[in-house]
Amino acid sequence: MLEVKGFSAGYQGNNVVHDVTFHVDPGEAVMIIGSNGAGKTTLFRAMCGLLSPSSGTVLFDGDHITGIAAERIARLGMRFVSAERHLFPGMTVQENLHLGAYPRRPDPETMSIVLELFPRLAERRRQHAGTLSGGEQQMVAVGRALMSKPRLLVLDEPSTGLAPLLARAAYEALGVLREGGLTVLVAEQQVPLAMAFSDRGYVLENGLIRLEGTTEEMAANPAVRRAYLGVT
Amino acid sequence: MTANILDGIVLGLQFGLLAAGLTLVYGLGGVLNLAYGQMGVISAIVVALAMDAGVPALPAVGVGLLAGGLLGLLLDQTILRPVYRSRGEARVLLSLLLTLGVSFIVDGFLIWRFPLKALSLHIGGGAVEILGVLMRRGSLLASAITLVTIAGLFVFFRRTSLGQAVRSVIEDEEGARMVGIYPSRMLRLILILSGMLAALVAVTRSMVTPVDVTGGLHMTVFALIVTVVGGRGSVAGALLAGIILGIVNVVAADLIGTYVSLIILLGAAAVTILIRPAGLLGVKE
Amino acid sequence: MSDQPTGSAGTSPMGGTEARSARALASLLIPIAAVGAALALVPLWLGDSRVLMGVAVLGLAFVCYTIGFNVIFGSTGQLFLCTGALAGIGGYGAAILTDTVGLPIVVSILIATLAATFTGGLLSFVAVRRSLGVIFTGIVTLIFSMSFEALLLGLSDLTGGDTGRLIYSGTDTFLREQIPPYYLMLALVLVFLLVHGLLQRSYIGWAFRALRDDEVAAELAGVDVARYRVYAALIGAAMLGLAGSTYALTEGRLSPTTFGFGQVDIVVLVMLAFGGIGTLFGPTLGAVTFTVVDEILIDFGQLRQVAYGILIIVLFLGMPRGVIPTVASLWRRVRGLEGSDAAKSTGSAAGRLESVPGESQSAE
Repeated sequence: MLEVKGFSAGYQGNNVVHDVTFHVDPGEAVMIIGSNGAGKTTLFRAMCGLLSPSSGTVLFDGDHITGIAAERIARLGMRFVSAERHLFPGMTVQENLHLGAYPRRPDPETMSIVLELFPRLAERRRQHAGTLSGGEQQMVAVGRALMSKPRLLVLDEPSTGLAPLLARAAYEALGVLREGGLTVLVAEQQVPLAMAFSDRGYVLENGLIRLEGTTEEMAANPAVRRAYLGVT
Repeated sequence: MTANILDGIVLGLQFGLLAAGLTLVYGLGGVLNLAYGQMGVISAIVVALAMDAGVPALPAVGVGLLAGGLLGLLLDQTILRPVYRSRGEARVLLSLLLTLGVSFIVDGFLIWRFPLKALSLHIGGGAVEILGVLMRRGSLLASAITLVTIAGLFVFFRRTSLGQAVRSVIEDEEGARMVGIYPSRMLRLILILSGMLAALVAVTRSMVTPVDVTGGLHMTVFALIVTVVGGRGSVAGALLAGIILGIVNVVAADLIGTYVSLIILLGAAAVTILIRPAGLLGVKE
Repeated sequence: MSDQPTGSAGTSPMGGTEARSARALASLLIPIAAVGAALALVPLWLGDSRVLMGVAVLGLAFVCYTIGFNVIFGSTGQLFLCTGALAGIGGYGAAILTDTVGLPIVVSILIATLAATFTGGLLSFVAVRRSLGVIFTGIVTLIFSMSFEALLLGLSDLTGGDTGRLIYSGTDTFLREQIPPYYLMLALVLVFLLVHGLLQRSYIGWAFRALRDDEVAAELAGVDVARYRVYAALIGAAMLGLAGSTYALTEGRLSPTTFGFGQVDIVVLVMLAFGGIGTLFGPTLGAVTFTVVDEILIDFGQLRQVAYGILIIVLFLGMPRGVIPTVASLWRRVRGLEGSDAAKSTGSAAGRLESVPGESQSAE
């Protein structure tokens, strides 16, 4: 579904991400793990149209989307949830969610699926998104992305700013969505969480893909265990 | 005193509606349009010229509103193109300077070509009593139109999905892009709207006092002050600030004198900016 | 040219410090002297026309105003949209002090200049304390400008209101003659150029450049950003006040339009932008050019405003750094020295107009 080849991106002439190649097949859950500063955010932002890439190609369902602006990509069925979430703080939870479906009218069925997944949001429907807690904001961000019935959901460090319990709950919700057939690509610093959720993964270090494989393979890899799982 | 407060509110609502156009463009696109007043003046002159040519008042006003909208579109498609390539503070500064240039061109041309032209819409009939105060029909109609327009804006932004999409860009542009909203299209729409608002306020103003070719700068400056006090991107803020400043203006002018009241008004604006730079209802950065 | 933002001329372990100081000073004095000599020749050409000499004196006044604005905005990026008002405090202040209060002319000029200096410093202090950015500083100073104009109109007993007032003091002195005022203003111009030049070469000038280029780095390097901003405003405002009061006394009459926003502030901004924000001779170039152009176009009446509008647009689109830096840049490229630091540091104020590339722009 998603193919990234030889992709490089960065800021003001300096590349942060170098010649990255990976893919996501329909129905998969793929993770890109790496520590802070590895380039995960830059990679995702450039892939999803918020940053101009330096070189390489991105194919979504066979169509070139390299360098296309974010708002166009969003309409093609690939939805990005950034670490900062970028909700509309002065607007209510309901308005935030409804806008996720823009330009179509919000589908009541999808809305109820989202509210089933995140029951807390139902209580807070009329609350301004800016007043929500971190965990609730994360729910709104994901819920908003889901309202458009995306085919691919791309999440950048969904555990950011969440207490461990909430982070786990978030990944459980993602798991439910996966079972429903959603394809998910997630970048994550908290590797155990990502591993419990994903089928396959890539390790990104200093902007380069160092390793790839199934989750089992990676969990068994001694270098991975040492660097990311705290196993000596 | 009631008369003054009422007058102040009437004036203030016009300030607020005028500022709404400016603040929306500023809040949504980070563009400060210093040719805003001129957009209103051109529209007023268009209405005047149409009426001179024999077009009845109402269609003439329609033409004027259309002209305002077209001017907004024109601005978006021409002068603002280079501005869109900048971001943040650079964008504000560049838009400020380029639209300033445009305002000079417009003013210079209008004063040269139509030095004595002014728009004055006379609403016939005597004065009407409202809340124990005598108001001229022109004033009354202007206020009514202003209120209806404000209500219309309210409905647009709160209840229509397009209006909410516009608001979302003001709230968080990146978030809006991530849900497939095109900020550039929203900006174009808002620029057209702002042009129409400037036209509308100029036309309603002409029901109270003539609007002539030199009025552009004045309109822009007042809109700017109300925008800054009310808060970037907030229509409600613009209305609130407009009303407050309108009342201060009228009350002070009556009690003290025109010039000192102007200083008080400006002082009030400055104080607000210093205490709360984000404005009354602005979003704290 | 003397626009190289080198540090203070001096201490080098390589020896020859005195020679270097002398050379540095010469590189400052010689161009200034050249400009002075060139401008000194103007009365030889225009001397017999009272009108044209008046225009020339006003032109020099604008050179002074623009240098003052350059010190405030070009050096430390504070967008003061009240240059007219500050000059007006000088002008009206001196007029009232000398005519109505009866003080000697020199004393009046001094006090009026101090008043302007204090006001400028106060505005800067407030802006700095409230951390107002460029835009808000501009808006607050604009409000001050408008208030000042309203004040002038309101206090009509003192100021003559809308119609203005005459200044009786100095009527029978050299101040009102045809040619001496020109040389008086020229002296001011040369003094201001010297002050600005020395400032650029001093520690203060280095501090200005540091805080203009990167505030945080400057703070870390020990520059009290707030304090230096206020210094810049004080110096610039002093120049404005002095120029305004001197000019007023040579003119003999004042009205709100002498120091109005549209007549002074905007004009000074365009002059500086044209000449080169932050450069030493930019103000001179800009002011002289525009004074000449304005005179040439005088028959076009109102259409001049159209011309200025077009000029502003072309200027800020094509040459946001101004003529001197653009020409200097081209010259360097021709000589194969492209990419030198000097090209970058002359205009961080103008650099605010340049965007940061990289981020993906919105789609259509």
